[in-house]
Amino acid sequence: MSAQLQIVDCGDSAVRVACLDPDRERAWRAVHLLAGVLGRRSDEHITSAIATYDAVLIEFDCAATHHAAVKQLVESADLRSVQTEDIRSARVFTVPVVYGGHQGPDLQLVADQQGLRTDEVIAIHTAHPLVMRCYGSPGGAPMLDGPDFPLPVPRRSSPRPHVEAGAVAVAGRQAVISARPAPGGWAVIGHTPLSLVDVDREPLSVFRPGDAFQFVAVDEQQWDGLAGRGLDA
Amino acid sequence: MPNTVTVIEPGLSVVQDLGRVGASRVGQMSAGALDQYGASAANTLVGNPVGAALVEVTAFDFSAVTAVDRIIAVTGAVADITIDGLPQEQWEPILWLRGHRLSIRRIRAGLRVYLAIHGDVVSRRLLGSCAPDTVLGFGEQLGAGTTLTIEDDCPVPRHFYFGVPFFRLGADRHPTRPPWEVDVTDGPDIAEFGGTLERLTETCYTVGPASNHIGLRLAPGGAAPVPQRDRRTEVLSRGVPIGAVEVPDGNEILVLHRGRGVTAGYPVLAVVTTTGLSRLGQAAPGDTVQFRRVSVDAAVSAYRAQQHRLDQLRGRVRTVFASLRLPTHFDTVPQPAATPTAQPLFKESA
Repeated sequence: MSAQLQIVDCGDSAVRVACLDPDRERAWRAVHLLAGVLGRRSDEHITSAIATYDAVLIEFDCAATHHAAVKQLVESADLRSVQTEDIRSARVFTVPVVYGGHQGPDLQLVADQQGLRTDEVIAIHTAHPLVMRCYGSPGGAPMLDGPDFPLPVPRRSSPRPHVEAGAVAVAGRQAVISARPAPGGWAVIGHTPLSLVDVDREPLSVFRPGDAFQFVAVDEQQWDGLAGRGLDA
Repeated sequence: MPNTVTVIEPGLSVVQDLGRVGASRVGQMSAGALDQYGASAANTLVGNPVGAALVEVTAFDFSAVTAVDRIIAVTGAVADITIDGLPQEQWEPILWLRGHRLSIRRIRAGLRVYLAIHGDVVSRRLLGSCAPDTVLGFGEQLGAGTTLTIEDDCPVPRHFYFGVPFFRLGADRHPTRPPWEVDVTDGPDIAEFGGTLERLTETCYTVGPASNHIGLRLAPGGAAPVPQRDRRTEVLSRGVPIGAVEVPDGNEILVLHRGRGVTAGYPVLAVVTTTGLSRLGQAAPGDTVQFRRVSVDAAVSAYRAQQHRLDQLRGRVRTVFASLRLPTHFDTVPQPAATPTAQPLFKESA
């Protein structure tokens, strides 16, 4: 496995491990496995591991360990289970979404660009659960595989200065639900009344890479009854 | 007697600590004191663990009164520190007697002052840390009248000579003043910048007004060119180290600090060293920064040397406090930055 891992220094307190496996699914599994195995090795002074698509950033306390020791841990990590599909059963969260109108100002734009009607865009977006690949910024938003649109979705030419939390957006071959308000250049096709990340709840967020999100279209009238609720699997 | 400190002039102040480092694994910023060294030294000087909660005062004047006698230390940026009008030493433990007014004024040569108080500042915690997180909306600015409760067991010795410093423990006073010398190591994506890293080190940069705990925007002096990518490929989103130097559009660079989003799809040209990040945490808008390229080994050595001197300081505090029968708590208060207990995605293999 180590032949397919490229380890590069990332400052004095981190290394980036990229998986060069051309099979993207296998690369993703490998880096998340590494994050799961090494991310909690506080006995080895590793403080965190951030896995995304093909890479994991491993952060450590360089006063107590050093890059060579961390690289050694990476190279000796047992990744055999990548091949054996030793993955926990992922959860599927149901996410109610109000599509279009002021809740999804770019729905028509996406429909025009895809050569579809808006109801067809919604049908594709809700067709099956979308897999979460990693946490995104800001606030740990779930970065999802995109729905099966015919074409990649272009980003807005000028980003919106303010996108509310709960915005359901698409870009390229990806999808996201905003966790916290932020500027954003993705096409917002809807909004969920659910709250994804809440400092008053423990845990802060319930979703993890590997989980999936099933979007469901709801009416604007249902918004108030759902507003502020957490995710349910 | 209430074990409180009451804020009179809040300026721009918060209850802070070293942050929640392990939070990046669940997609949350690390947050915490931007001058980690200043905050660590302040806590060490009062016998606290480095990660204890303390008050961070940014840029503007601050004052407060205490309801009980306390031992405190004020580090970070240079400022005028007085207690009931009498000048006090920075970077040494000082006595703050009940009913007296502590003032921190004219913050200069730096941006952030750290006020550590012997004991444990009672504070709300998220993932083990009280550090404010502006993205999540966690933590609050202190206001006029805000009351902090500090659990303390410290019988403060009252026999001291007015005007004569009580302690002389000789903590390293870092930082000094601008221009800030900030070390960087080569970033993981340096190859994408076709040898233009030199543009980072051969001219001074000025900290822009849109700089904060998320990142600092800096422009080169004399409108010199910034480093440039020589390719325009889309980059997959990857984990971003604290200190990442990125080059957005426009003639400026972005240095991400402790409030950074943990994943992004921008190539990383260089990474500011851990000791450099503490200095950068003191750089105010308008200050100049001189970047210096160092090896990873040199960066690690510099950080270890700084930690070693903090260890030595801790030893001196322990000795001096013990001789005065003052308790120290270097190991007793739980360290923040506890790793969140997210389940691993995969089962671990046997």
